[in-house]
Amino acid sequence: MGHTGAVWCVDADWDTKHVLTGSADNSCRLWDCETGKQLALLKTNSAVRTCGFDFGGNIIMFSTDKQMGYQCFVSFFDLRDPSQIDSNEPYMKIPCNDSKITSAVWGPLGECIIAGHESGELNQYSAKSGEVLVNVKEHSRQINDIQLSRDMTMFVTASKDNTAKLFDSTTLEHQKTFRTERPVNSAALSPNYDHVVLGGGQEAMDVTTTSTRIGKFEARFFHLAFEEEFGRVKGHFGPINSVAFHPDGKSYSSGGEDGYVRIHYFDPQYFEFEFEA
Amino acid sequence: MQDAENVAAPEAAEERAEPAQQQPAAEPPGEEPRPGAPGAQEAADGEDEEAEAGPGPEVPVEPAADGEEAAGATPGPSPPPPEEPASPAAAPAEDEDDAPGEQARDAAAEARSDGAGGVQGGPAEDAGAAENGDADEPSFSDPEDFVDDVSEEELLGDVLKDRPQEADGIDSVIVVDNVPQVGPDRLEKLKNVIHKIFSKFGKITNDFYPEEEGKTKGYIFLEYASPAHALDAVKNADGYKLDKQHTFRVNLFTDFDKYMTISDEWDIPEKQPFKDLGNLRYWLEEAECRDQYSVIFESGDRTSIFWNDVKDPVSIEERARWTETYVRWSPKGTYLATFHQRGIALWGGEKFKQIQRFSHQGVQLIDFSPCERYLVTFSPLMDTQDDPQAIIIWDTLTGQKKRGFHCESSAHWPIFKWSHDGKFFARMTLDTLSIYETPSMGLLDKKSLKISGIKDFSWSPGGNIIAFWVPEDKDIPARVTLMQLPSRQEIRVRNLFNVVDCKLHWQKNGDYLCVKVDRTPKGTQGVVTNFEIFRMREKQVPVDVVEMKEPIIAFAWEPNGSKFAVLHGETPRISVSFYHVKSNGKIELIKMFDKQQANTIFWSPQGQFVVLAGLRSMNGALAFVDTSDCTVMNIAEHYMASDVEWDPTGRYVVTSVSWWSHKVDNAYWLWTFQGRLLQKNNKDRFCQLLWRPRPPTLLSQDQIKQIRKDLKKYSKIFEQKDRLSQSKASKELVERRRTMMEDFRKYRKMAQELYMEQKNERLELRGGVDTDELDSNVDDWEEETIEFFVTEEIIPLGSQE
Repeated sequence: MGHTGAVWCVDADWDTKHVLTGSADNSCRLWDCETGKQLALLKTNSAVRTCGFDFGGNIIMFSTDKQMGYQCFVSFFDLRDPSQIDSNEPYMKIPCNDSKITSAVWGPLGECIIAGHESGELNQYSAKSGEVLVNVKEHSRQINDIQLSRDMTMFVTASKDNTAKLFDSTTLEHQKTFRTERPVNSAALSPNYDHVVLGGGQEAMDVTTTSTRIGKFEARFFHLAFEEEFGRVKGHFGPINSVAFHPDGKSYSSGGEDGYVRIHYFDPQYFEFEFEA
Repeated sequence: MQDAENVAAPEAAEERAEPAQQQPAAEPPGEEPRPGAPGAQEAADGEDEEAEAGPGPEVPVEPAADGEEAAGATPGPSPPPPEEPASPAAAPAEDEDDAPGEQARDAAAEARSDGAGGVQGGPAEDAGAAENGDADEPSFSDPEDFVDDVSEEELLGDVLKDRPQEADGIDSVIVVDNVPQVGPDRLEKLKNVIHKIFSKFGKITNDFYPEEEGKTKGYIFLEYASPAHALDAVKNADGYKLDKQHTFRVNLFTDFDKYMTISDEWDIPEKQPFKDLGNLRYWLEEAECRDQYSVIFESGDRTSIFWNDVKDPVSIEERARWTETYVRWSPKGTYLATFHQRGIALWGGEKFKQIQRFSHQGVQLIDFSPCERYLVTFSPLMDTQDDPQAIIIWDTLTGQKKRGFHCESSAHWPIFKWSHDGKFFARMTLDTLSIYETPSMGLLDKKSLKISGIKDFSWSPGGNIIAFWVPEDKDIPARVTLMQLPSRQEIRVRNLFNVVDCKLHWQKNGDYLCVKVDRTPKGTQGVVTNFEIFRMREKQVPVDVVEMKEPIIAFAWEPNGSKFAVLHGETPRISVSFYHVKSNGKIELIKMFDKQQANTIFWSPQGQFVVLAGLRSMNGALAFVDTSDCTVMNIAEHYMASDVEWDPTGRYVVTSVSWWSHKVDNAYWLWTFQGRLLQKNNKDRFCQLLWRPRPPTLLSQDQIKQIRKDLKKYSKIFEQKDRLSQSKASKELVERRRTMMEDFRKYRKMAQELYMEQKNERLELRGGVDTDELDSNVDDWEEETIEFFVTEEIIPLGSQE
């Protein structure tokens, strides 16, 4: 029981009743969070890269990889209509012929999704009509991660082009850029401070040939408004694949290619620190 | 028309002769070089006794004038032109029988002597053929009044096509001057000698020795079977030394024609418009005395020029694909040279406009003369046997090619080494040292130096002295020689024994020469290194020696001083030693630091300060040393650094990780000379940083001394300036942050307003539950403590089987 391939994405709905997972075994599954019971199995033609519940928890979306001759698609199911699940017929399927989706989240109020592409492009797709509402290209390489702020009004992207950028969720207007010397795999916004944490490092395939020193597997903290770095946390000996703040903003955690998940609590100085301005 | 041309040919030869005959009268001999004889003045000087013959101008006249009379009897020096009209017509008849051919030729000769051309030649031949024909056969001769209405072109088009051209013969004729003048008794002997020399280049089909009063005139005409042979003879026999008095001058006969047509009047060359390039040294007038540097990045796609500034580099110019490989500054900083498949381009002035181009296909390496006047370029593509183009020397001001050279396969760049003033340049080949002079680009004193076994040489940067060394040869010891130029006087020779290798290191002013000698002394094992220090500024050039038993990693002179630094030992036990050459010649060890992580020494261009760097494999360790009191000012690291570059003033140092040697973290860092890190400049695929050199100072020694004396006064002013700019910088930073914060707040306010507007929709979507704040539903929270019981069971793996 369960997935038979790598699980690429997980999402829970707002009241944590259901969990959605997408996997390289060419399926997306819906689970009951409390009991762990599989509620739905949606078969796909290729690996499921991203998945998510909308704001109200009624609609799910997932995107598939461009793989084995199949296109990249974003599929939308309305959970309130069980026939869609039973027949594995999404109410909408958006094809992405140009560049596959590497990361995607729901926009505010569940009206659209925001997708990051392999090319570095960002698209806002309507969840009703499927049309592209906004298209921007601020990154030059693949977008590895998109994370929304707590109030969902803005989001931060992490890209292979060594930067993370801040955008407005509604207009997709570019706000800020945070530069590093290594590919950024994940970036998260603090829920209560104007801070952003970036995780990344030398790509996993190159790591064996270089020392951890050159890999720069550090979590790096930037000020959101000034774009200036003010802190680093060392510890991982492989690239960081994922970072997240605790909802209370008093700690953060990071998961690395080295197989460790590290949970760090901030020192009192972190809360006192202020830029001279 | 064709016929008319044929007729015209011999006449043209005569016509040409006429002005030639007039020429000697028109101008005094010797005022202008003899036509067709490059460097003929020399030849004329050597032949004073012949002066009354009216040198030069007569020579070309001779064959043409003689040609007429010679055509019938003696074979002329240029027989083809007079024969031409007849021969094509004669050819077909010759095929049938010898006799008609002969007759036809006779007829042709007749026609020729009449000054007749092809029109007459045709019928004459017809007649010949007819005469020869069988008497029984009907006569095919034309009636007397027959008018030929078929053109020869139609009739004999295919044959006419192969008709010899006038040029065929003339191009194969050469004129040899400075041939001994002999009487008939020795003529045969002379002919033999000439034949021996000149038949090397091809078959001689004709020769002509003009005579006067029973003696030959001292110049001769030779005709080869083909023009290529004639060219070969000119190339190789010109300047041939027959004996002391006679050096041949060999020229193509056609060249005489060419030079003959040169106008007597000297045309004033058209004035070239002056191209104002602006002030090429504008950057030296910068108020802050900042320096410039070039940066290549994006793996060579982009090149930028910056002002170096303590705060941030200030971009002056940035261009995509400015160069195809790398760039070079000229030694005084005037030009920036860029490399292209088709050649080199020089840029300069305030806007970095193109100043000069040198077309050299496939150019790979360049070198400027120290004075910037000449540029040496190397390309492996273009060389051919007769046209040396592997190395080309150019004039940077005019863009003209000065000379081409061949390149030996084993040579090291720079192949040509320049003297400090750019007056001479030299190159080494097997057993030979060739020194050339500017601006003629010719060999100094017209010959190279034979130095058997020469291994290496080097110019003094402080005078026209060359140092070279030759290794041991059986019983002859190895030798280091210092030679003054252009006198070629040996000012110092030092013999050395058991030598394995030598390296020549000049101090930048030419005050000292250090010859690093690796030796294997008898009775010891392993290599010992001697530093032989030549004091160039003293009488007899005294030499002192420092011996070291450890392997030597690097050696470097203090540029403006009398100290030198040596890195020695083996990893991980590397030491650096600083020596001082005292005025009495004693060489004193000032200080030794052990356990160094270094493989290269970088002295400040002003001396005193030095950076010891462990580049590449040594991870980029850096030590900043002040050698006045030998203190280590700072130890630092630029991980994986591949290059260290001092600015030309010795105020800053740049360390960099080049994409050419390492693929990640490509950046250049700016340090003060004391080792304080000022900037980290990350550039995508950064390749190369080069400081723009400065020309030598125009201040006199006294003025420099005065400035040193007043340094305290100046430092106060500068310190104040620095403080001002620093506080300004921090103010600017705070100001910038403030505006950034304000903008950000504005944006957040807007976003939050929208967020608040949507509150009802959110509540609706989540069934009336407010999730906006983390603790908005704190009443619903329930705290639960859950305990897990973990049972541990140990199962030995072996028992499972």
